[in-house]
Amino acid sequence: MKTSILAAAAVIAATAALPAAAQNATGTVTINGSVADRCQFTLPSDVINAGELSLQGSGATAGKLDPSKLDGQSRTLQGWCNGTAATMSVEAQRLVNTTFTTTPPAGFDRVVNYTATATANSANATDTSVTDGAGTAVPVGLFTGDVKVTLSGSSSPTSGLLVAGDYSGQVLVTLTPSVTPAP
Amino acid sequence: MKRLALTLLAAVALPGIAHAQATDTATADVGVSGTVARLCMLGTPTPAPVDVGQMANTSGARVGRIAVIAPRTVTLPGSFCNFAGSAITVTATALVSNDASAVEPGFAKAVNYTAEVTNWAAGSATVTTAATAGGGSPTASATGPTQPAPKVADLDVTLSNFTAPSDFLLTAGAYSGLVVVKLGPVASGGE
Repeated sequence: MKTSILAAAAVIAATAALPAAAQNATGTVTINGSVADRCQFTLPSDVINAGELSLQGSGATAGKLDPSKLDGQSRTLQGWCNGTAATMSVEAQRLVNTTFTTTPPAGFDRVVNYTATATANSANATDTSVTDGAGTAVPVGLFTGDVKVTLSGSSSPTSGLLVAGDYSGQVLVTLTPSVTPAP
Repeated sequence: MKRLALTLLAAVALPGIAHAQATDTATADVGVSGTVARLCMLGTPTPAPVDVGQMANTSGARVGRIAVIAPRTVTLPGSFCNFAGSAITVTATALVSNDASAVEPGFAKAVNYTAEVTNWAAGSATVTTAATAGGGSPTASATGPTQPAPKVADLDVTLSNFTAPSDFLLTAGAYSGLVVVKLGPVASGGE
Protein backbone atom coordinates (compact mmCIF):
# COMPACT_ATOMS: atom_id res chain seq x y z
CA MET A 1 0.00 0.00 0.00
CA LYS A 2 2.90 2.33 0.68
CA THR A 3 4.17 1.89 -2.80
CA SER A 4 0.80 2.70 -4.20
CA ILE A 5 0.62 5.96 -2.25
CA LEU A 6 4.02 7.08 -3.51
CA ALA A 7 3.11 6.34 -7.03
CA ALA A 8 0.07 8.47 -6.72
CA ALA A 9 2.09 11.34 -5.30
CA ALA A 10 4.56 11.18 -8.17
CA VAL A 11 1.80 11.50 -10.69
CA ILE A 12 0.42 14.52 -8.97
CA ALA A 13 3.86 16.15 -8.73
CA ALA A 14 4.58 15.62 -12.36
CA THR A 15 1.32 17.16 -13.43
CA ALA A 16 1.86 20.19 -11.25
CA ALA A 17 5.25 20.84 -12.81
CA LEU A 18 3.91 21.11 -16.44
CA PRO A 19 2.77 24.81 -16.49
CA ALA A 20 6.21 26.03 -15.58
CA ALA A 21 7.57 24.57 -18.84
CA ALA A 22 4.93 26.10 -21.36
CA GLN A 23 5.63 28.98 -23.97
CA ASN A 24 3.39 32.03 -24.76
CA ALA A 25 1.48 31.69 -27.99
CA THR A 26 0.26 34.64 -30.12
CA GLY A 27 -2.56 34.36 -32.56
CA THR A 28 -2.99 37.00 -35.32
CA VAL A 29 -6.09 38.23 -37.08
CA THR A 30 -5.19 40.38 -40.04
CA ILE A 31 -7.78 42.99 -41.01
CA ASN A 32 -7.80 44.07 -44.62
CA GLY A 33 -10.01 46.55 -46.44
CA SER A 34 -9.97 48.72 -49.50
CA VAL A 35 -11.47 51.93 -50.83
CA ALA A 36 -12.19 51.87 -54.49
CA ASP A 37 -11.30 54.78 -56.69
CA ARG A 38 -14.42 56.84 -57.05
CA CYS A 39 -15.75 60.18 -58.12
CA GLN A 40 -19.10 61.63 -57.27
CA PHE A 41 -21.07 64.80 -57.76
CA THR A 42 -22.93 65.95 -54.71
CA LEU A 43 -24.49 68.83 -56.65
CA PRO A 44 -24.88 67.28 -60.09
CA SER A 45 -26.98 69.74 -62.06
CA ASP A 46 -27.83 73.36 -62.60
CA VAL A 47 -29.39 75.52 -65.27
CA ILE A 48 -28.31 78.62 -67.15
CA ASN A 49 -31.28 80.44 -68.61
CA ALA A 50 -29.75 83.08 -70.84
CA GLY A 51 -33.04 84.69 -71.86
CA GLU A 52 -33.21 86.60 -75.14
CA LEU A 53 -30.19 85.61 -77.23
CA SER A 54 -30.44 88.12 -80.06
CA LEU A 55 -29.38 91.71 -80.20
CA GLN A 56 -32.21 94.18 -79.95
CA GLY A 57 -32.53 97.65 -81.40
CA SER A 58 -32.49 98.63 -85.05
CA GLY A 59 -28.81 98.60 -85.95
CA ALA A 60 -27.07 96.47 -88.51
CA THR A 61 -26.54 93.72 -85.96
CA ALA A 62 -30.15 93.57 -84.74
CA GLY A 63 -31.43 90.02 -84.70
CA LYS A 64 -27.96 88.47 -84.54
CA LEU A 65 -26.44 86.72 -81.53
CA ASP A 66 -25.75 88.85 -78.49
CA PRO A 67 -22.59 87.14 -77.18
CA SER A 68 -22.92 88.79 -73.80
CA LYS A 69 -25.93 86.62 -73.06
CA LEU A 70 -23.80 83.47 -72.82
CA ASP A 71 -20.20 84.59 -72.40
CA GLY A 72 -19.23 84.77 -68.74
CA GLN A 73 -22.19 82.77 -67.54
CA SER A 74 -21.14 80.28 -64.87
CA ARG A 75 -22.59 77.77 -62.47
CA THR A 76 -20.90 75.93 -59.64
CA LEU A 77 -21.42 72.22 -59.18
CA GLN A 78 -19.91 70.23 -56.34
CA GLY A 79 -18.22 66.88 -56.24
CA TRP A 80 -15.20 64.87 -55.26
CA CYS A 81 -12.73 62.26 -56.34
CA ASN A 82 -10.81 60.11 -53.89
CA GLY A 83 -8.00 59.00 -56.17
CA THR A 84 -4.89 60.94 -57.02
CA ALA A 85 -5.08 60.10 -60.70
CA ALA A 86 -8.70 61.13 -61.28
CA THR A 87 -9.45 63.09 -64.44
CA MET A 88 -12.08 65.56 -65.53
CA SER A 89 -13.53 66.23 -68.96
CA VAL A 90 -16.24 68.53 -70.23
CA GLU A 91 -18.52 68.34 -73.23
CA ALA A 92 -20.24 71.45 -74.56
CA GLN A 93 -23.39 70.64 -76.49
CA ARG A 94 -24.53 73.47 -78.75
CA LEU A 95 -27.74 75.37 -78.26
CA VAL A 96 -30.23 74.36 -80.92
CA ASN A 97 -33.54 75.92 -81.81
CA THR A 98 -36.08 73.37 -80.64
CA THR A 99 -39.09 75.06 -82.21
CA PHE A 100 -37.69 75.61 -85.69
CA THR A 101 -36.15 72.33 -86.68
CA THR A 102 -35.65 72.60 -90.43
CA THR A 103 -32.66 73.99 -92.26
CA PRO A 104 -32.80 77.77 -92.02
CA PRO A 105 -32.73 79.94 -95.13
CA ALA A 106 -29.56 81.72 -96.17
CA GLY A 107 -28.71 84.50 -93.77
CA PHE A 108 -30.13 82.72 -90.72
CA ASP A 109 -28.76 80.42 -88.03
CA ARG A 110 -30.61 78.12 -85.65
CA VAL A 111 -27.54 77.01 -83.71
CA VAL A 112 -25.40 78.79 -81.13
CA ASN A 113 -21.95 77.45 -80.34
CA TYR A 114 -19.81 78.21 -77.31
CA THR A 115 -16.86 77.01 -75.27
CA ALA A 116 -17.37 75.46 -71.84
CA THR A 117 -14.66 75.36 -69.21
CA ALA A 118 -14.90 73.26 -66.05
CA THR A 119 -12.57 74.18 -63.21
CA ALA A 120 -11.89 71.95 -60.22
CA ASN A 121 -8.88 71.67 -57.98
CA SER A 122 -7.10 74.33 -60.11
CA ALA A 123 -7.48 72.16 -63.21
CA ASN A 124 -9.31 73.43 -66.29
CA ALA A 125 -11.05 71.18 -68.80
CA THR A 126 -12.45 72.84 -71.91
CA ASP A 127 -14.52 71.91 -74.92
CA THR A 128 -16.11 73.72 -77.83
CA SER A 129 -19.53 72.79 -79.08
CA VAL A 130 -18.39 73.30 -82.67
CA THR A 131 -17.14 69.71 -82.68
CA ASP A 132 -19.08 66.81 -81.23
CA GLY A 133 -17.88 64.92 -78.19
CA ALA A 134 -15.99 65.81 -75.06
CA GLY A 135 -12.74 67.71 -74.89
CA THR A 136 -9.46 66.33 -73.62
CA ALA A 137 -9.55 64.98 -70.07
CA VAL A 138 -7.24 66.70 -67.63
CA PRO A 139 -5.84 65.38 -64.32
CA VAL A 140 -7.87 66.65 -61.42
CA GLY A 141 -6.54 64.38 -58.67
CA LEU A 142 -7.80 64.08 -55.16
CA PHE A 143 -10.26 66.83 -54.36
CA THR A 144 -13.58 67.72 -52.88
CA GLY A 145 -15.41 70.90 -53.54
CA ASP A 146 -16.48 73.18 -56.35
CA VAL A 147 -16.60 72.30 -60.02
CA LYS A 148 -17.17 75.63 -61.71
CA VAL A 149 -18.58 75.65 -65.24
CA THR A 150 -18.04 78.81 -67.30
CA LEU A 151 -19.21 79.65 -70.83
CA SER A 152 -17.27 81.77 -73.33
CA GLY A 153 -16.71 82.44 -77.01
CA SER A 154 -20.32 82.13 -78.13
CA SER A 155 -21.05 82.44 -81.83
CA SER A 156 -23.45 81.32 -84.52
CA PRO A 157 -22.24 79.33 -87.53
CA THR A 158 -22.61 82.09 -90.14
CA SER A 159 -22.92 85.10 -87.84
CA GLY A 160 -26.39 85.34 -89.33
CA LEU A 161 -29.77 86.28 -87.97
CA LEU A 162 -31.07 83.89 -85.35
CA VAL A 163 -34.32 82.13 -86.15
CA ALA A 164 -36.94 82.89 -83.53
CA GLY A 165 -37.74 80.18 -81.02
CA ASP A 166 -36.55 78.36 -77.93
CA TYR A 167 -32.91 77.26 -77.79
CA SER A 168 -31.53 74.49 -75.62
CA GLY A 169 -28.11 72.93 -75.01
CA GLN A 170 -26.11 71.53 -72.12
CA VAL A 171 -22.67 71.14 -70.62
CA LEU A 172 -21.68 67.69 -69.39
CA VAL A 173 -18.88 67.39 -66.85
CA THR A 174 -17.40 63.96 -66.25
CA LEU A 175 -15.17 62.99 -63.35
CA THR A 176 -13.35 59.72 -63.94
CA PRO A 177 -11.48 57.93 -61.14
CA SER A 178 -8.10 56.32 -61.60
CA VAL A 179 -8.47 52.70 -62.53
CA THR A 180 -5.57 50.34 -62.04
CA PRO A 181 -5.54 47.60 -64.65
CA ALA A 182 -6.47 44.26 -63.17
CA PRO A 183 -3.50 41.90 -62.86
CA MET B 1 -5.15 19.71 -53.60
CA LYS B 2 -8.57 20.60 -54.97
CA ARG B 3 -9.44 22.48 -51.86
CA LEU B 4 -6.23 24.50 -52.09
CA ALA B 5 -6.85 25.38 -55.69
CA LEU B 6 -10.31 26.73 -54.87
CA THR B 7 -8.90 28.92 -52.16
CA LEU B 8 -6.41 30.49 -54.56
CA LEU B 9 -9.13 31.24 -57.09
CA ALA B 10 -11.12 33.09 -54.50
CA ALA B 11 -8.12 35.17 -53.58
CA VAL B 12 -7.62 36.22 -57.19
CA ALA B 13 -11.27 36.98 -57.74
CA LEU B 14 -11.64 39.36 -54.84
CA PRO B 15 -9.28 42.01 -56.21
CA GLY B 16 -11.23 41.78 -59.45
CA ILE B 17 -14.37 42.91 -57.69
CA ALA B 18 -12.52 45.85 -56.23
CA HIS B 19 -11.45 47.03 -59.69
CA ALA B 20 -14.99 46.85 -60.98
CA GLN B 21 -16.05 49.28 -58.27
CA ALA B 22 -13.19 51.58 -59.23
CA THR B 23 -14.86 52.47 -62.52
CA ASP B 24 -17.39 54.78 -60.83
CA THR B 25 -17.55 57.77 -63.13
CA ALA B 26 -19.59 60.75 -62.11
CA THR B 27 -21.35 62.97 -64.60
CA ALA B 28 -23.03 66.29 -63.99
CA ASP B 29 -24.84 68.59 -66.34
CA VAL B 30 -25.51 72.28 -66.67
CA GLY B 31 -28.47 72.95 -68.89
CA VAL B 32 -28.16 76.01 -71.10
CA SER B 33 -31.25 77.59 -72.56
CA GLY B 34 -32.30 80.80 -74.21
CA THR B 35 -34.90 82.27 -76.49
CA VAL B 36 -34.99 84.41 -79.56
CA ALA B 37 -38.09 86.53 -79.88
CA ARG B 38 -39.90 86.97 -83.18
CA LEU B 39 -38.49 90.01 -84.89
CA CYS B 40 -38.95 91.89 -88.15
CA MET B 41 -36.84 94.75 -89.36
CA LEU B 42 -37.15 97.02 -92.37
CA GLY B 43 -34.11 98.60 -93.95
CA THR B 44 -33.79 102.34 -94.34
CA PRO B 45 -35.74 103.47 -97.46
CA THR B 46 -33.35 104.49 -100.19
CA PRO B 47 -33.88 106.95 -101.76
CA ALA B 48 -36.35 108.82 -99.62
CA PRO B 49 -38.25 111.01 -99.86
CA VAL B 50 -39.38 110.59 -103.45
CA ASP B 51 -39.88 113.71 -105.50
CA VAL B 52 -41.78 113.08 -108.74
CA GLY B 53 -41.32 116.67 -109.88
CA GLN B 54 -43.74 118.43 -112.19
CA MET B 55 -46.86 116.32 -112.47
CA ALA B 56 -48.90 118.33 -114.99
CA ASN B 57 -48.27 118.86 -118.66
CA THR B 58 -47.27 122.42 -119.36
CA SER B 59 -47.91 122.24 -123.09
CA GLY B 60 -49.59 120.16 -125.74
CA ALA B 61 -52.99 118.62 -125.98
CA ARG B 62 -53.02 117.63 -122.32
CA VAL B 63 -51.77 120.87 -120.92
CA GLY B 64 -52.78 121.22 -117.30
CA ARG B 65 -53.61 117.52 -117.03
CA ILE B 66 -51.43 114.88 -115.47
CA ALA B 67 -48.27 114.04 -117.35
CA VAL B 68 -46.68 110.69 -117.77
CA ILE B 69 -44.72 110.18 -114.57
CA ALA B 70 -42.02 107.57 -114.62
CA PRO B 71 -42.23 104.85 -111.98
CA ARG B 72 -40.07 105.33 -108.93
CA THR B 73 -38.46 102.54 -106.95
CA VAL B 74 -37.40 102.78 -103.32
CA THR B 75 -35.33 99.99 -101.79
CA LEU B 76 -35.47 98.84 -98.17
CA PRO B 77 -32.21 96.88 -97.90
CA GLY B 78 -31.64 94.04 -95.47
CA SER B 79 -35.23 93.74 -94.36
CA PHE B 80 -35.95 90.54 -92.47
CA CYS B 81 -38.24 88.47 -90.30
CA ASN B 82 -36.66 85.74 -88.21
CA PHE B 83 -39.70 83.46 -88.18
CA ALA B 84 -42.01 81.68 -90.57
CA GLY B 85 -45.35 83.18 -91.45
CA SER B 86 -44.84 86.87 -92.13
CA ALA B 87 -46.47 89.27 -94.55
CA ILE B 88 -46.20 92.80 -95.83
CA THR B 89 -48.93 95.33 -95.50
CA VAL B 90 -48.59 98.42 -97.67
CA THR B 91 -50.64 101.51 -96.96
CA ALA B 92 -50.54 104.28 -99.55
CA THR B 93 -51.91 107.77 -99.31
CA ALA B 94 -52.52 109.62 -102.57
CA LEU B 95 -50.60 112.75 -103.38
CA VAL B 96 -52.90 115.53 -102.23
CA SER B 97 -52.42 119.23 -102.60
CA ASN B 98 -51.27 120.93 -99.45
CA ASP B 99 -53.78 123.71 -100.24
CA ALA B 100 -56.85 122.97 -98.19
CA SER B 101 -59.12 125.00 -100.41
CA ALA B 102 -61.99 123.27 -102.15
CA VAL B 103 -61.45 122.51 -105.81
CA GLU B 104 -63.52 123.97 -108.59
CA PRO B 105 -65.43 121.64 -110.93
CA GLY B 106 -63.19 120.12 -113.57
CA PHE B 107 -60.16 120.32 -111.32
CA ALA B 108 -58.49 117.76 -109.07
CA LYS B 109 -56.18 118.28 -106.15
CA ALA B 110 -55.14 114.63 -105.82
CA VAL B 111 -52.96 112.23 -107.76
CA ASN B 112 -53.49 108.54 -107.31
CA TYR B 113 -50.85 105.89 -107.82
CA THR B 114 -50.06 102.25 -107.32
CA ALA B 115 -47.59 101.14 -104.65
CA GLU B 116 -46.17 97.65 -105.05
CA VAL B 117 -43.80 95.94 -102.60
CA THR B 118 -41.90 93.04 -104.10
CA ASN B 119 -39.24 90.48 -103.19
CA TRP B 120 -40.79 89.15 -100.04
CA ALA B 121 -43.34 86.43 -100.73
CA ALA B 122 -44.41 84.60 -103.86
CA GLY B 123 -46.51 87.58 -104.89
CA SER B 124 -46.29 91.27 -104.23
CA ALA B 125 -48.22 93.48 -101.85
CA THR B 126 -49.98 95.94 -104.11
CA VAL B 127 -52.39 98.77 -103.48
CA THR B 128 -53.77 101.57 -105.65
CA THR B 129 -55.11 104.74 -104.09
CA ALA B 130 -58.53 106.05 -105.08
CA ALA B 131 -58.69 109.60 -103.79
CA THR B 132 -61.50 111.80 -105.04
CA ALA B 133 -60.90 114.97 -107.03
CA GLY B 134 -61.25 116.95 -103.83
CA GLY B 135 -58.67 114.83 -102.06
CA GLY B 136 -61.10 112.72 -100.07
CA SER B 137 -60.48 109.10 -99.10
CA PRO B 138 -56.84 109.23 -100.09
CA THR B 139 -55.64 106.18 -98.20
CA ALA B 140 -55.79 102.53 -99.21
CA SER B 141 -54.18 99.43 -97.80
CA ALA B 142 -53.44 95.86 -98.81
CA THR B 143 -51.61 92.85 -97.42
CA GLY B 144 -49.45 90.62 -99.55
CA PRO B 145 -49.09 86.85 -99.48
CA THR B 146 -47.53 84.98 -96.63
CA GLN B 147 -43.82 84.29 -96.55
CA PRO B 148 -43.60 80.74 -95.16
CA ALA B 149 -40.01 80.87 -93.90
CA PRO B 150 -37.63 83.24 -92.16
CA LYS B 151 -36.30 85.60 -94.78
CA VAL B 152 -33.88 88.42 -95.29
CA ALA B 153 -34.16 90.46 -98.48
CA ASP B 154 -33.96 93.86 -100.08
CA LEU B 155 -37.55 95.01 -100.52
CA ASP B 156 -38.45 97.09 -103.53
CA VAL B 157 -41.28 99.58 -103.30
CA THR B 158 -42.33 100.71 -106.76
CA LEU B 159 -44.60 103.71 -107.25
CA SER B 160 -46.30 103.79 -110.64
CA ASN B 161 -49.52 104.37 -112.55
CA PHE B 162 -49.90 108.01 -111.51
CA THR B 163 -53.36 109.30 -112.45
CA ALA B 164 -55.64 112.20 -111.62
CA PRO B 165 -59.24 111.53 -110.57
CA SER B 166 -61.37 111.69 -113.72
CA ASP B 167 -58.28 112.99 -115.49
CA PHE B 168 -59.26 116.46 -114.32
CA LEU B 169 -56.98 119.46 -114.52
CA LEU B 170 -54.58 119.53 -111.60
CA THR B 171 -54.67 122.50 -109.30
CA ALA B 172 -51.37 124.24 -108.83
CA GLY B 173 -49.38 123.79 -105.68
CA ALA B 174 -47.29 121.33 -103.74
CA TYR B 175 -48.58 117.81 -103.29
CA SER B 176 -47.54 115.22 -100.78
CA GLY B 177 -48.35 111.60 -100.17
CA LEU B 178 -47.12 108.75 -98.04
CA VAL B 179 -46.34 105.07 -98.36
CA VAL B 180 -46.12 102.99 -95.19
CA VAL B 181 -44.70 99.47 -95.38
CA LYS B 182 -45.27 97.15 -92.46
CA LEU B 183 -43.63 93.77 -92.09
CA GLY B 184 -44.83 91.39 -89.41
CA PRO B 185 -46.58 88.17 -88.47
CA VAL B 186 -49.57 87.18 -90.54
CA ALA B 187 -51.77 86.74 -87.49
CA SER B 188 -51.56 90.44 -86.71
CA GLY B 189 -52.18 91.54 -90.24
CA GLY B 190 -48.61 92.49 -90.91
CA GLU B 191 -48.35 94.81 -87.95
